[in-house]
Amino acid sequence: MDQISADECVSLGEGEEELLSSRKRRVIEKCLDCPRFARDLQTLRGSDNPLAGILPFLMAELADQKAQLQFMGGFLDAKIREIAFLHELSVELQTSLNLDEVLSVAMTAITAGKGFGMNRAFLLMTDKERQYLRGYLGVGPLNAEEAWHIWEEVGQSNLSLKEMAKHFKTSKLSSEKVKFHDILEKLTVPLKLQDHIFNRSLRERRPILVENAFSNPDVDRSVAETLGVDSFLIMPLISGNRRIGLIIADNCITHRPITTQDMQSMETFAFPVSFALVRASLYERLQEELQKVTEANLKLKEQQETIVRMEKMALVGRITSSIAHSIRNPLMIIGGFTRSLLKDVPENDPKRPSLESIVATAKQLENVLDEVLSYSDSLYPARDMWDVNQLVAATCGELQEQLEKRGVTCTMNLAPGLPPVYVDYRQVSYCLRGVITTVADRLADNGELIIATSRDDASVALRVLDPTTSLTREEREALTTPFSATQELGIGLTMPLCKTILERASIPFDINSPPEGGTTYTLNLPITKEEEIHGQDSRS
Amino acid sequence: MARILVVDDESSIRLLYTEELTDDGHVVTAVATATEAVDKLREADFDLVLLDIKLKNESGLDLLQTIVKERHDIPVILSTAFSFYKDDFSAWLADGYVVKSSNLQELKDEIERVLAKKKRP
Repeated sequence: MDQISADECVSLGEGEEELLSSRKRRVIEKCLDCPRFARDLQTLRGSDNPLAGILPFLMAELADQKAQLQFMGGFLDAKIREIAFLHELSVELQTSLNLDEVLSVAMTAITAGKGFGMNRAFLLMTDKERQYLRGYLGVGPLNAEEAWHIWEEVGQSNLSLKEMAKHFKTSKLSSEKVKFHDILEKLTVPLKLQDHIFNRSLRERRPILVENAFSNPDVDRSVAETLGVDSFLIMPLISGNRRIGLIIADNCITHRPITTQDMQSMETFAFPVSFALVRASLYERLQEELQKVTEANLKLKEQQETIVRMEKMALVGRITSSIAHSIRNPLMIIGGFTRSLLKDVPENDPKRPSLESIVATAKQLENVLDEVLSYSDSLYPARDMWDVNQLVAATCGELQEQLEKRGVTCTMNLAPGLPPVYVDYRQVSYCLRGVITTVADRLADNGELIIATSRDDASVALRVLDPTTSLTREEREALTTPFSATQELGIGLTMPLCKTILERASIPFDINSPPEGGTTYTLNLPITKEEEIHGQDSRS
Repeated sequence: MARILVVDDESSIRLLYTEELTDDGHVVTAVATATEAVDKLREADFDLVLLDIKLKNESGLDLLQTIVKERHDIPVILSTAFSFYKDDFSAWLADGYVVKSSNLQELKDEIERVLAKKKRP
């Protein structure tokens, strides 16, 4: 009967209601084990029915079919689990762009019980020069004790592949590299050794299941000794025509035989791993290149800003030079002819003071002009390594006559053996001259100023000390403020210009008046070229 | 006493130099252009040339090169409103360099120095 009721079959239990309407399934799944059915068949066999003789054969065949079906069902379940695992693995590999992350996922998948369940795995990768297949990473226990410890830990944690890979990456990746360092070194082989079994697997693009490794003529004995196992699997990692590396996996602890089935499953897994490794590697290189491009772009921007700044400076320089030329000649004519006239004017002539005043004013204006032109020159910084003591001596030498006229003496305390400073000579010389003349202007006759050099941490300190004059904070600020009311014509711009020049050159400039008296002007001159970059930044 | 050729496009400066140097006992010839200067150098002998670098539409440095080529026995002092020409290689051909100033003492000292140097064998 196709359709029966529940009370007509005692073998059917709860949840098997579907079988009530399927005679075929009912016969295969229930009747063969049903005592009533066996009794009925026995009765039928004893009857005179001519078909009774073939019933035992039919029953035996049916039992075989059922066993096969159960085996196939088990196989199918295993495959479904494998596909599910490969799907999970594939998702993890596809979503990762980090090389270490990809490696962690791959190596975890090979050794995890819920993955391929191998005891140990090694990854060898071809180097950038394509000269060697180098041992890169090993995963697994070193001995049985460690193995049981790891497996117990994994069994209790019940983590997913993703979680296990993450845990591996953060807490084990580095230590595993160290742990297997010696083995990884020994597994490294030159790619030119064509007959080596590793290279053969790569060249033939197929996995090799090595058995009887210690007596296998195809296997270098040193490989078997390094691994210490008789059986292992070599899985090439290839993407397109690119030979990325290979994975060696074994069961060094359990010695479970590696089956062809294991090899086929691993082969399915090798392709996405290869692809993910290539992609992660390319992404890593892309990031490096992007970093270079970003840095180059930044540098270009800085250079553009520098060019714009230099053009502005060049314009300022041209205008200044033009003005200077236009002014210097008339000044020279006015002052020069007045001096000529003075030669013939007696000392007691009432016109003499007026002529002398013209001469003095012309000279004063010429000094202003010199100052402006010096500043104009300083707009074109040309830094180089200079001996600061020589710079000080030369600048003071130039001012010697001027200082003597004012009755000011200059004492130099220059430290020996100082490193050269990386500065624009003209700029620093101009600023030192500016500071010295400013200090000299404040000093009374027979005054003394001290110039000292010494080594600081990353610079050379150049100090000009006025031992007698103390300045308040307001006075110090006014000193470096352009057109301050306290300054006279000709020196009003000196200190502000010095401050601006030094700021642009990133040279720290400090004016300090300690409570015990006096004022110290300090320039910290760089001794390395690194300062130049900061200097350019500060100007932009 | 020396024969000095002054080359400057500014007439007042030519006059100032002429008066001052004549007072000091020199014989001064003053011209405004490079062409005039070359002509004068071919016509007469001079002990020294006092040369402005920025001549009207001409370069004193080009004239300096011509003088060095044709009359390398005559020393040249450059007189200019610009101090930065000191760093110009072309200016290094000159025997002296003076930045223009209302106080001509520096110029006079330089003339004496160059003439004294010329006299030495």
